[in-house]
Amino acid sequence: MHIPDGFLDPVTAGVTYLIALSYTVYAFKKARSSRVELLAPVSASIFVAQMLNWPLPGGTSLHFVGGALAGILLGPWNGYMAMFLVLLVQTLIFHDGGITAFGANLLNMAILSVYTGYVFYKSFARFPGRGKVIGSFLGGWLSLVVAGLACGLQLGVSTQFPHNVTLAVPVMAGWHAVLGLAEGVITAAVVSYISSKSPELLTGGAV
Amino acid sequence: MKLTKPYLLVIALLLASPIFLVASELTGYHEPLDLVAEALGLKEATEEFNWTPFLDYTVPGVPPVLGYILTGALGILAILVLCKLVEKVRGR
Repeated sequence: MHIPDGFLDPVTAGVTYLIALSYTVYAFKKARSSRVELLAPVSASIFVAQMLNWPLPGGTSLHFVGGALAGILLGPWNGYMAMFLVLLVQTLIFHDGGITAFGANLLNMAILSVYTGYVFYKSFARFPGRGKVIGSFLGGWLSLVVAGLACGLQLGVSTQFPHNVTLAVPVMAGWHAVLGLAEGVITAAVVSYISSKSPELLTGGAV
Repeated sequence: MKLTKPYLLVIALLLASPIFLVASELTGYHEPLDLVAEALGLKEATEEFNWTPFLDYTVPGVPPVLGYILTGALGILAILVLCKLVEKVRGR
């Protein structure tokens, strides 16, 4: 999911940087201080969870992205800050994700992924019974589909990419629609655990 | 839930992380984006344009498994420091 240096042309890189940095300023202003004590444990957990690459049948691998979980636990603004810090450290210290693609990676994994997870969780959490679990599963799964779709779009419009969006978008979205199921299961499992042990952490309205 | 519990999980995952490193190296499996790039002949500029000694979670001169744990610890430390900074700025 992390786009490396060399995949995006200057225009695509520039536009995604502009969107992501504008969003960063806005998110920092909007983020409420009430959830800030959770920022460190959630960010650190997501960082280390992303280090676990799971080999899958079929010759590919996946790692947990965690954007949806961050959105569910922290709300969209603090959730964005958590993913921003994770991606910043990955990019600057480990060159995991390109510096020229930092804006695009933020857009995919910190903005779209976090917001998708948050919206689906909020939409379903109001229903009694399994609403929170279903919402977190859908949020986790679709957060990866949306992020994969956006990644495909960015690659498709980039002149560095030898094919256009009609190939890049379905390939990336298709892969992530399958791999995203695991993201959904992990997100739902974590939310279910927290819901049983510490439901106060799941305010569902942490904006 | 006390907030120490997530940190215990972080330490446990960090210590387990080399298992996944070895497994993915043994199988040679890569993420979808890497597979698509390879199929299309796209070339990363990561190694040509690099500034960090910790590229791909390695430490020069240190075995990969130990390097993975050390860089993971470094990443976690950096995140905790940045979070403290955010908390301080937000608290003003």
